[in-house]
Amino acid sequence: MININQIIKEMDLDGDPSNHRVVVAMSGGVDSSVTAALLVEAGFEVVGLTMQLYDYGKALQKKGACCAGSDINDARVVSSKLGIPHYVLNYESIFQNQVINDFADSYLRGETPIPCVRCNQTVKFTDMFDRAKNLGASAMATGHYIRRKTKLGYPSLHTGIDPSKDQSYFLFATTKNQLEFVRFPLGSLTKNETRSVAKRHGLNVANKPDSQDICFVPEGNYAEVLRKLRPGSIEAGNIIDVNGNVLGKHNGIIDFTIGQRKGIGVGGRKDVDDNNSILYVISLDIEKNNVMVGPKEFLSCNKIKISDCNWLIDIKNITEFSVLVKLRNSSQPVIGTIKVNFDNSFAYLTFEKPQFGVSTGQAAVFYNIRESSHILGGGWITEAPNKSAEIKLNNA
Amino acid sequence: MKKQIYLDYNATVPLLKEVKKSLIDSMYIGPLNASSIHYYGRKGKYIIDIARENISKLINTNKNNIIFTGSATEAINMLFRNFDTIVVSSIEHLAVLSSSRSDHIIPVNQDGIVDLNILELYLKKLIKSNKKILVSVMWVNNETGVIQPIKDVVEIAKKYGCLVHCDAAQALGKVKINLEEIELDFLTLSGHKIGAPTGIGALVYNNDINLTPLILGGGQEKGMRAGTENILGIRGFGEASKFVNNSKENNCSKVKFLRDYFQKIIKNLSPETIIFGEKANRVSNTLLMAHPNISGDLALMKLDLESFSVSSGSACSSGKIAKSHVVSAMGYDNLASNSVRFSFPPNDAILNSENLITKKELDRLAHYWSNL
Repeated sequence: MININQIIKEMDLDGDPSNHRVVVAMSGGVDSSVTAALLVEAGFEVVGLTMQLYDYGKALQKKGACCAGSDINDARVVSSKLGIPHYVLNYESIFQNQVINDFADSYLRGETPIPCVRCNQTVKFTDMFDRAKNLGASAMATGHYIRRKTKLGYPSLHTGIDPSKDQSYFLFATTKNQLEFVRFPLGSLTKNETRSVAKRHGLNVANKPDSQDICFVPEGNYAEVLRKLRPGSIEAGNIIDVNGNVLGKHNGIIDFTIGQRKGIGVGGRKDVDDNNSILYVISLDIEKNNVMVGPKEFLSCNKIKISDCNWLIDIKNITEFSVLVKLRNSSQPVIGTIKVNFDNSFAYLTFEKPQFGVSTGQAAVFYNIRESSHILGGGWITEAPNKSAEIKLNNA
Repeated sequence: MKKQIYLDYNATVPLLKEVKKSLIDSMYIGPLNASSIHYYGRKGKYIIDIARENISKLINTNKNNIIFTGSATEAINMLFRNFDTIVVSSIEHLAVLSSSRSDHIIPVNQDGIVDLNILELYLKKLIKSNKKILVSVMWVNNETGVIQPIKDVVEIAKKYGCLVHCDAAQALGKVKINLEEIELDFLTLSGHKIGAPTGIGALVYNNDINLTPLILGGGQEKGMRAGTENILGIRGFGEASKFVNNSKENNCSKVKFLRDYFQKIIKNLSPETIIFGEKANRVSNTLLMAHPNISGDLALMKLDLESFSVSSGSACSSGKIAKSHVVSAMGYDNLASNSVRFSFPPNDAILNSENLITKKELDRLAHYWSNL
């Protein structure tokens, strides 16, 4: 059962809710719609904002499709139903420059980017954040499943109650300054509870499926999008094994991710038995345009470099400490020891046990080893050497 | 809830009382399909005839020259498909710019007035192609309110044997349109800009010219626009035209007073604000301005949250606000995302029939603007 008083308390805004204007970032999905609904119920003055990020019609290559797609319309319908003002922010050019181009460049560097984090970092929590402040809001709320707690007057970030929905991995880059202003009313809800609130309010999005894909990549086909974004820069090359033998051809390294097993296009090695017969992508060589495949052991990675770290804790006096770290959104946290550089912008992390399939471009998100829900910060994996690095050295 | 202050009459004018009454009256007459031969069909036809007459009186033309369409946009689209070469001004409404698909775009000066010399140069060059040329220039710009030298446009176009269309959606009810005095070949109108319902527009044309219709079907509107007539829309358009026509001529002095008063306090309180087309001949109700440091969409949101309904640039149906091509065309590209339009009722008659906008409210609005 959802306790509105609890939600009001967690909003951490002084006095009566009616004295506070709260901007809700509304995507048109059920989560942000329910966020708005709960805050209306709680008595806040709610304003809905939706970002127009790219030309939906163009992305789908559908003639006559509206530039906005149906999500903006859903957000508008929900806002009308809730009786709140709703506006659309035109962030197409910012999104193109900061998110889509970065996404393409990152893939071309052989990385596996997370555009949703970039979007939170560069559009949602900067431009939209500023707009919310300019509109005189006391806070900006989003529909993320993550909790903001206040201890001794300082806000901290914690995983969502619903482990299957927790979005902390995507929000590691939330700065301390941003955390003062943003709120996540759904952090203490399960997805089922969210849907029940939507139904109770008669919202048209109550049964809308969760979005699975990157919003500007229709049907999850990112390779096709990249080929359109960067025509000419994607070339065919060789798929090689750890001894440098050519096993086959590929149509561009963008089609591959470190740790990938399926759809490589070369069969397993028949001459080798059991575990070693399965081939994984173990390295993407940008200079030679080679995809290297090998058995799982070559994916083994002991230490990574993490750049552009964002810290939600004070680390002035600590330079080396143990953390739980998540290397992909879907993976379980593992134990590691982090060594923070004095300027805090980058760090090295040594795993307690070797990790397999760590990919640059992904985020490493740190959690408190004593309180695993507590997010300490995170950064971008810029170096994740596995055994294939040794091969390359030997070959050189 | 605070009282809503509506200053977006160029977007749409609320239904006039007289129009509402006429619509309700029509709703009670019975089933109205003007193509039917029976009693009700005749009633329907009569309503359309009267409306056509009322509109023709307002613009001083023969009622047989008027074709009803679903909107001014539709009328423009229908007209444009009949021409290969269309010369347009850079500040036309998107209905004209998009549907003309024209590369022949005549610039405007910094006051937002179409450059007649360039128009002439263009036409001089284009007539050599021996194609059927249509010149399309709006009477009144929807964003700035600047009145275009339409008589001169016609004169130049005729000199080169071109036909002329004028988008008069924003002129109707604001300036006197007399088609006897001005030799336009085509004029397009929109009902809801003078207090009729949305969904009704008209193409006024010289029916010596053969046009191919856009919508084919049952032959309504002399075969020029098929589809069962929108009787309520047509009736409303006719009643609104009658209302505007019956109000005294030169009937914008109160509107002008309010607009100018507002403009004056804005200039006092916010000297950095730029007013577009101020030096030009403008209709009395429109004021387009920009604060150099505040984007139009932010201004609009803040004003809306304070219960002032105004508009900014041109909004897509998504609600996304684009840069104003009109402000850009006037040479203020850096302010094209900052412009905000305040539009008062089109004339005194409509102003009087509405809740009067008070000076006190305008003072509050100007103060709010200066502190955005």
